[in-house]
Parts: sequence; C-alpha cells; structure tokens
Amino acid sequence: MGSWEKSFLQFLDSPVRLGLAVLSAILLLFFIIRLGSIYFFLRLIFLNLTRNLVRTGLTAVASFMLVFVVTLVWTILWFLNLVTSEKSKDFKAIVSERWQIPSQMPFAYQGALSEGAPAMEGDFKVDSSRDAMTWQFYGATIDPTKRTRESILFFFCMEPLKFTKMMDGMDEFTPKQVEQINHWCEEMVKDKRKVILGKDRLQAINKRVGERLKLTSFNYKDIDLEIEIIGEFPESRYNQSGIMNRDYLNDAVDAYNRKKPLKHPLTAKSLNLVWLRLPETPIFQQVEKQISESPSFTAPAVKIETAASGVATFLDAYRDLLWGLRWILAPFILATMALIIAVAISISVRERRKEIAVMKVIGFLPRQILFLVLGEAILVGALSGTASSLGTYFLINDYFGGIKFPIAFFPVFLIPGDALWWGTAIGVGTGLAGSLFPSLGACRIRVSEVFSRIS
Amino acid sequence: MDLVTTLAIYFAAVIAGFILLAFLGKVPLKYSLRNLIVRWPISLMTGLAFTLVIGLLMVMLAFVNGMYRLTGSSGYPDNVLVLSDGATDEVFSHLGFRDVSEIEFHPSVQRDEKGKPLASWETYVIVNQPIPSHARKDGRKRRFIQVRGILDPERSGQVHRLKLKSGQWFTTGEGGGGVREVTLHEPGKEPRTIGAGEVVMGLGIARELGPDYRKESLEPGDVFSLGDRYWVVAGLLDSHDSTFNSEIWAKWKTVAERFGKETFSTVVLKTVSPEEAQRAAKDLVQNYKKAAVQAVVETEYYDSLNNTNQQFLIAIGFVAAIVAIGGIFGIMNTMFAAISQRVNDIGVLRILGFAPWQILISFFLEALLLAFIGGVAGCLAGSFADGFTASSIMSSGTGGGKSIMLRLTVDLKMMLGGLLFSLAMGALGGFLPAIAAMRVKPLESLR
Repeated sequence: MGSWEKSFLQFLDSPVRLGLAVLSAILLLFFIIRLGSIYFFLRLIFLNLTRNLVRTGLTAVASFMLVFVVTLVWTILWFLNLVTSEKSKDFKAIVSERWQIPSQMPFAYQGALSEGAPAMEGDFKVDSSRDAMTWQFYGATIDPTKRTRESILFFFCMEPLKFTKMMDGMDEFTPKQVEQINHWCEEMVKDKRKVILGKDRLQAINKRVGERLKLTSFNYKDIDLEIEIIGEFPESRYNQSGIMNRDYLNDAVDAYNRKKPLKHPLTAKSLNLVWLRLPETPIFQQVEKQISESPSFTAPAVKIETAASGVATFLDAYRDLLWGLRWILAPFILATMALIIAVAISISVRERRKEIAVMKVIGFLPRQILFLVLGEAILVGALSGTASSLGTYFLINDYFGGIKFPIAFFPVFLIPGDALWWGTAIGVGTGLAGSLFPSLGACRIRVSEVFSRIS
Repeated sequence: MDLVTTLAIYFAAVIAGFILLAFLGKVPLKYSLRNLIVRWPISLMTGLAFTLVIGLLMVMLAFVNGMYRLTGSSGYPDNVLVLSDGATDEVFSHLGFRDVSEIEFHPSVQRDEKGKPLASWETYVIVNQPIPSHARKDGRKRRFIQVRGILDPERSGQVHRLKLKSGQWFTTGEGGGGVREVTLHEPGKEPRTIGAGEVVMGLGIARELGPDYRKESLEPGDVFSLGDRYWVVAGLLDSHDSTFNSEIWAKWKTVAERFGKETFSTVVLKTVSPEEAQRAAKDLVQNYKKAAVQAVVETEYYDSLNNTNQQFLIAIGFVAAIVAIGGIFGIMNTMFAAISQRVNDIGVLRILGFAPWQILISFFLEALLLAFIGGVAGCLAGSFADGFTASSIMSSGTGGGKSIMLRLTVDLKMMLGGLLFSLAMGALGGFLPAIAAMRVKPLESLR
C-alpha cells in the first residue's frame, strides 16, 4: 500500500472525518447535477455578501477570532484525550512504586522489571534492549543561591540510545532531526557528562549549546554534577526537558557512597519509573500478574499501569479545569459566535424585506429564500473558520512553537492536523445555528404586508 | 488604595461621564432607549452576546479568585515554615529529628501555657490510591491523596489555627496511640475486627472519598483503605478555604513507617508576631549551621505557590481579550445597522439644530447603554458560579505542587471589573459607528 493510500485510510479512521467525507461527496454530486442553478444561487449569495462589505468583514473577523480561541482550547483537550485514551495494541506501560508519589524504587529492581519480571517458563519476557526504558529524575539549579524558574534544570536520566526508540512525540521531529538526536545520544554514551536540553529551558537559563555548567542538585543532595550541553531539542514537547545518561548519575551516587561513611539517602530510591512497550492487552495483563505476584518487589511494592491510565491519574487535579474548558468555555464562545452571525444576518434580512418580497413576486419559493439566507451565513462562517484554523495552525506551530500552557508534564501543545477541518466545521455549524431563525423569518415575509406598508 | 475602591472610582467616573454626555448631548436618552426597544430582536441578541462574554469572564475569574483566596488564607504571617535547603516543595524536603527538635526551641517561637514550643512537626507524602470501579469518573482509575504525618495533632491545629468541625483529634503516644479497633463490614465477607489507623481529614477530601464507600462524604467513625491498611476517621477539620481541606492527617510514626519517609518534611513554628516571624526566618537561614535549612514566613511560602494562579490569569486575560474582539465587532455591526436604518432621523435631528457632535454622543451612549445592560446581565449570570467547588493544583513552577479543592468566589471587585470591561467593549465597538453617524449629511440623508 502506498504512503498516500495509508494516509488517506488513516484520515478516514475517525468517524467524524468519515462522515464529513461522505457528506462532501454527496454535496459534490449534488453540485455537479444542479450545476447551473447552484452557480446562480452561489453568485446571488456572493453578491449579497459583498453588498455591505463592512458588515460582512466585521462578522468574518469576529468569527475568525472566536474560532482561534476554540481551536486553542480544543487542541489542549484533543491532546489530553489522545494521551489518556487506552490503546489495545503496541502501547506503553509504566512500572512505579505502588503507593507513593514520587515513585522511588531501588535501582536493583530495574533488571527484572525491564524484562517484565518473568519467573517461570511460559512467562512473557519483554525484550529489554528494545522495549524497556528506565527513568531517574535529577533536579538541579545552576545558581545555588537563587532557585527560580530561570535557574533550575530537570533531567530524565536514561539510557541515551533508548530516547528515539522509546520516548513519545518522535513524530514531532523530522527524520533529519531524529538522526541528529541519535548522533547526540551516541555522543552521550561516549562522554557521560554530555546532555541535551530543550529550547525553552536553554533560553530560560540563558545558556547555549557547547557551554559547561556546574549543577547543584535539590533532590540528590550533595550529588552535584558538571555537564556539557551537546544539543538542543528542536521545537517539540521537549522544549522544557533535558536528558542525561543514567550512568553518570549512578556513578556519582556510587562515588558518594564510597567516600562518605553513610550511604546517600537516595541510594535505594533512585529508580523512578520503568517503561515497557507491550504488544497487546492480554500480554499487559500477563505482565501485570507477573510483576504483582513477584516476591522480589515488596519493599517497596510496585504496580504496573498503562501509560494512558498513569497520565490520567496525573491529570486528575485538573479535572474540573478541563471540564470547564470543555463544557463552559468552548460552548460559550460558540454561542457568542452564533449570536454575532445571527445579529448580522438579522440586520441583513431586515434591510432586504422589500427585495425579498419582490423575489417572491417573481417566483422564488420560500425554501429558496431560506437557502439563500442560510447560504450567506454558512459561507461567511465557513470561510472565516477555515482561514482562522489555517492561520492558527501555522501561527501557533511555526511561529510560537505551540501553545505554552503547562498542564501536568505537558509544557506545550501543538495544533494537530485535525484542527484544519475544525475551523470549517465550527464556521458552518455556528453559521447554520445563527442564521436559522433569521432565514425562517425571511422566507415567511408576506408580500402583501410589505407592499401595503410601502403604499 | 485597594482594588475595590479603585474600580469603584473608575466605575463612578464612567457613570458620571455617561450622565455628563447625556446632559451635554441634549438628544434625549429616551430616544436611544426607544430605538433599542423598537429593534428589540437585534438589541437582545447583541446584549446576549455581551452577557455571554461577561458571564464567561466572571466564571473564569471566580476560579482564579478562589485559588488566590485559598493561598491567601492557608498561611499566617506569624508562622515560619522550615524546609531542608534545596527542597522546592514539601515532598522533596528531608529534615532530621535532631534538627527539628533544636529548631523548635528557637527563642522566637511562642510557648503554650505549659511552656512547650508551639511547633508543628510534619511529614508530607502523596499516596497513589486506586479508585473503586463504581466511583470512577472519566475513566480515571487512581487518584493522589495528600497525607500529613503529625506528631501532636492538637498542637499542629493550634499552629495552623485549625479546629475540628466534628469528631475528635486522633490519639497519640507510643503505647498504641493513633490506632482504634473497628469492625470491618466488607461485601461478601464476615464482619471482622481490625486495628485501623486514626486520622482527621479536611472536608474536601472527605467528600472526595465518600463516593468510594457509596456515601456523599466520609464522617467520623467511617473506615476507609489507603495504601495497604485501613484507617478510621476520628474527626473532620474545619478547613474551608485552606489547602488543608484536601489533606489527611495521621499519626507521624504510622505515616513514616507505612509510606517510607522517616524524615520530617517541615516544621512550622508559631511566633508572637509577623515581625518576629520575619526575624526568626532570617536568623534560621543565616545562623543555623547544623543543617542547611530554608525558613520562610508561611504567607510568603503560599505566595510562592501562586505561579499556577498567575499562569491561569494570563490565559484568562488572553481569552477574554480575544472574545472581547468578537463582542466589539458584534456591537459595531448593530450600531452600523442602526445608523443605516435611521439616516432619515439623523437628517431631521440635524435640521432641527443638533450639532454633529451631539449626534455622535447620542449613538455612542446608545452603544454604552446596550453594553451596560448586557454587562449587568453577564455579571448576574456569572455570580451564580459563586460557591461552587472545584479541584485544581497550585505550584511554584519549580517542581511539586499541591492538589487543592477551592471554592469559586465572585466578589464586588470582579463585578465592577466585569461592568467596566463590558463598557469598554461597548465604547470601542460604538465609537466608529457614532463617528459615521456624525458624518451623515442632513440634506443627502433626507433626499
């Protein structure tokens, strides 16, 4: 199957998009059959809209701005919905401490957990070289006298070569960028002091690639490290992140333990998460059983959950805020937009009462007048909505690097490709809703009443 | 001058300006009002657009206002909060027993009637708890619960000025304190007697956990599971409008052993005055050498958690500004239409001797009137949000954070601010059409 066919099938994967595609096909067919009369009506609609350019322009700009806000809000909701939706195939699971946040497990757990803790013959064994990844968190400041957002750094300490293989969001990078990141990761293996930082974090601490920094840790007390910034993540969800070779941190903890009479307090708590990639739900259930029944993980106890479930737990604190965005903010804005269109169309109908009466006299049917008025609103809504979503897509993604509204551990939200049809759909929907009553009013105009007033 | 007074002065100035313009303009205000009534469907829809924008703004601000109120009322200016140096949040703070026992004897710390220092020793942990399937909403299977291990609950209550709404403080002491024998009734199992850890909890978390046990809220005497053991509610904290509303307090030793944190997160010291608290905080940071600690006045600590509020406020400002543009263009449409319909009226007014600037004032006031009516309705609609509770998070933005239950709060400054915002939208949207009305030529308009 060719790549365009694959993309086309992926596009049709969503029921909404499939519905829209079918609707578009029907409309196109209808358009071809009734080409002559449709052209006449479209021309009439267009002429009516251009008759009062100020009004049409004001309505279009208002719709444009409101679609902009709705696109931003829906982008956040769309992304969070995506990451919290359970998948049944090729998904990730997180192993963490069972009861406590932040999860802190002995690093000794990583070997068995990375394989899914197989104990008996027939148990599922995860290929840890390909489908497992460990995370250790190292937080530090570059200025021990002042811990502000402008001086702190937060690192995911991991096996560098797993970054492009296991981390999410690789689709946000171009193949060339992925290649570049892989090269940096190889360098990080050769020289453990080397790290990669996100664009925004580098900007916040006012440092550049190539600089060397001395870090004072705030979670690994007295484990202060020297690092060299080898690369900068391209614009992505990693704008605020940093990655470090886990061996660098572990070696530093070992060195501390050799020098000091007492072991570092985090020696037995340095493993924060283990990620596993699993092929399907039954395998997840089997690995869950293997891990929960294993006697090796009791102090502390561990749990395994799907990545979607884990993220949903972190988003729990935001549930009312997200509910408000979904059910108050977006609908209120859509209602405001429908009202603005309704005002414009009502004024337009009111001004054209005589004209509509004449149209009726010369043979226009009420339903044709209804479609004419509805068409004006839908055309304004659809054009401004489409322009807005297109503009939002390019402005936010290419110029601003995404919506920078940190929620949980998502620092930035990129406008998805789906947003390109949201604007059109919002414009058509609100245009229809806003013009329904004015257009019904227009088709009910009584010819005798209008002309008796004139006389 | 506080914000309410400032806004009230601005609002009074706007109303005075409105009356002055109506007086100077000489075109009767009744004429504008009548025009709005005659074209009532369009006036209604435009007013409704204003109502929606202002109502939305009020709800969003009520949320942030609730968060500010919560952070503002969670700390006291005469309390000093001591964390280990480098900790950006209570979760990451580790203070040793010896340090805490020395710090509490700082000379600035207030003593009770028995001469004991008023200091609260606390260990803060976040517990990851599964949600029973019948209580799950939106597919979430787990939740985070904030648990605070406390050495002496009554003393901690005194330091944090918290009283019990119902029940009693949990018992303490080495000889089995903090544990109560309860009979556990589990579906499908024989009732059995167990030793459950005693806790006191905020009303917010009691309401959150209630549905797990098919109740609206947990009450004293109720048994619940957390971590790998059972707990019994000894009392409910009267903790409205503070972060403690979302917390469970239990005996320190039990929390330390169960959740593996055997150090203290914080020690909170009550001093005699805010000035003394400032002095104590400075002294501890500069002169306490046995361990590196950071000491801050409690109110400053909670202020530092306002980062999330500021982030929300910026987002609300942005959304409000964009939505306002929609409202402005809506009223522009309405007013331009009003002019085109009343060109003849304008001509007659000019011939009767009204100057162009008086026509401008008349149309400008009409737009303001519409905005005012819509704004008042929006403020009233938005005020219904007052008192609703919502969950959120507050953080300093440097890691960590606290889950909170806040109460949406609509107050006078928000109402005044909403009305001024509505009038500003009306003024911006009405000015250009008013200029267009002023420029109508009388003879041409009547031709």
